[in-house]
Amino acid sequence: MTRRPLSVLALALVLVVVACRREPPPPPAPAGPTAAEIEAARQDSIARVQAQRDSVAAAEAARERAAQAERERVHRELLASLEAMVHFDYDESAITPQAEGVLRPKADILRANPSVQVTVQGHADERGSTEYNLALASRRADAVRQFFTAFGLDDGRFVTVSFGEERPLVDESNEGAWAQNRRAEFVITGDGGELTAPR
Amino acid sequence: MMQRRTQFGAATLVALTLAGCARVGAQERDSIPGVTLGLVYETAYTPALAIRPFTGRFGGESAAAQVEAIIARDLRYSDRFQMMDSLPTALTGDAIDYRLWDRLGAVWLLTGQVEGAGDRFSLILQIHDVVYGRLKEVSRFALPNPAAKDFRMAVHRASDEVVRWVFDEPGMAATRIAFSMVIPGTNAKELYLVDADGENLERLTNHGNIVLSPAWSPDGTRLAFSSYKTGLPRIYIHELATGRERMIEPLRTGDQMTPAFAPDGVTLAFAVTSGERSGIFSYNFYRNCCLTLLAGGRWNDISPVYSPDGRSLAFNSNRLGTSQPQVYIMPAGGGEPDLISPYSFDRPGYFSAPDWSPVGGMVAFHGAIRRGRYHILVARVEDRGRRVRQLTWDGNNEDPSWAPDGRHLVFKGERRWGKGLFVVDVATGNTRTLLFGVDITVPEWSPHLGGG
Repeated sequence: MTRRPLSVLALALVLVVVACRREPPPPPAPAGPTAAEIEAARQDSIARVQAQRDSVAAAEAARERAAQAERERVHRELLASLEAMVHFDYDESAITPQAEGVLRPKADILRANPSVQVTVQGHADERGSTEYNLALASRRADAVRQFFTAFGLDDGRFVTVSFGEERPLVDESNEGAWAQNRRAEFVITGDGGELTAPR
Repeated sequence: MMQRRTQFGAATLVALTLAGCARVGAQERDSIPGVTLGLVYETAYTPALAIRPFTGRFGGESAAAQVEAIIARDLRYSDRFQMMDSLPTALTGDAIDYRLWDRLGAVWLLTGQVEGAGDRFSLILQIHDVVYGRLKEVSRFALPNPAAKDFRMAVHRASDEVVRWVFDEPGMAATRIAFSMVIPGTNAKELYLVDADGENLERLTNHGNIVLSPAWSPDGTRLAFSSYKTGLPRIYIHELATGRERMIEPLRTGDQMTPAFAPDGVTLAFAVTSGERSGIFSYNFYRNCCLTLLAGGRWNDISPVYSPDGRSLAFNSNRLGTSQPQVYIMPAGGGEPDLISPYSFDRPGYFSAPDWSPVGGMVAFHGAIRRGRYHILVARVEDRGRRVRQLTWDGNNEDPSWAPDGRHLVFKGERRWGKGLFVVDVATGNTRTLLFGVDITVPEWSPHLGGG
């Protein structure tokens, strides 16, 4: 009889095994988000944050760009103002009222930008003598420099050079061309690409 | 025979006087109040000169005609002779028949032979006084090979010797003219040289910028000028034989230009036209010392030039406070300037670019007699502007420079038909074109260029 308990045990084991097999399937898991959906959602939120960040940065960049453009515009305007030429009467080196109107803004800009250096180039029209026109054009450049130093600007910031009648702006022989050729031109150095507007 | 010379001279005098009178009438309305505009040319006697065709021997045959052509043109350009048309030897014979030449109207007869001498040549020239029927001078000149660079200049020196034989005065054939010319298609103006007969055009500088105001050293071996090579006008000295060049910079700042050599050959006068120290300065460039301000102020002073004795300077200035420049002279060491161009308070006039005659006494300049038209004028220093002579009548004329013969002036001229360099003889008024159709400024005639 020692074999019976053994066979009972075996049966029980079989039963257990069978019983285990027959267990009913568990109820379906509640319909939660799939992994893909979760990933998608995760991505969305990242994108949202990113977009938010981007728009802030873009706005900032746009503001920066606008500011830069504005600075460049101001620089260009100030430079144009510094480079604007002045004209003289026939055989004269005196600063005319019109020329004064062009030179005053230059003086203000130069005061606001102490590192800026200016070369003043004097020119004459073709009439008269080649050599005397060199002297006359020198005097014109000098008259401009003196205008600036009278405004308290440092003399050392200016270099003058006379080109006499050698570099006409308009290569013609008539009153209109001569009037344009009697001039002082300005070459600006040391502006660092960024001029400060006078207050 | 002397009678014919006198008759000829008298006829010339009358003719020139009449021509002068007609011009006075036509131009009177343009004259400046209180200033006499002299128009009657000096009635210079121009004797007739015949040239018998030059002959050649010992291998000199090939060069004879070329040498003769150069000399004939030089003598014509001297404006001192009435040049007779050349006659074939067949007509005049081998022997010199003074009676025949006399009948033909010659006062002087030039004969010449060119001999071969190895690679070189020898030129023998004879000048015959036809009126007195005798040989006046004969001399032998060594000539290099016609292919050599200095061949023409050697022949020009022989031409000047003929002038000296006849007139005992210096010629100007053996000279060159320096000037500034635009390099087409660029912004640059460079210095060039050309012989007084318009041959041998040669470029001197290569600065790639504006080069102006050449001035010859008294011995003709150097040129001083101003250049914008560094961007700012500075004075340079160029040695012709070697091509060596150096910048002199007596002042660190200010436009430095329009140099002129003193007769000592080591002192330069020049103008500084901007900055605190502006005016006419002198400077010893040989020792790099002794910068001296001669005249200066808050006006335009430029274009100094020494008198031949070195004791005075002429220069251009508007120091009277007018907007137009006038011509002044002052002692070479500085001092009170004297006006020598015409001046009246209501009509100051524009007078510029002075050049002192190498034989003294006269200063040439250009000026506006009538508004907008510039003409070449000559004034005696002692007249202090009360009297000037006008030498050009057409177009615009600027920058006269004297030849070493004290008779000829080279100047820049603009005509309706173009512009270029012209030469006028102060004695006869004869004008010729030296170079034409080119944009030329500031011509400067060399001294006599000796043999090398």
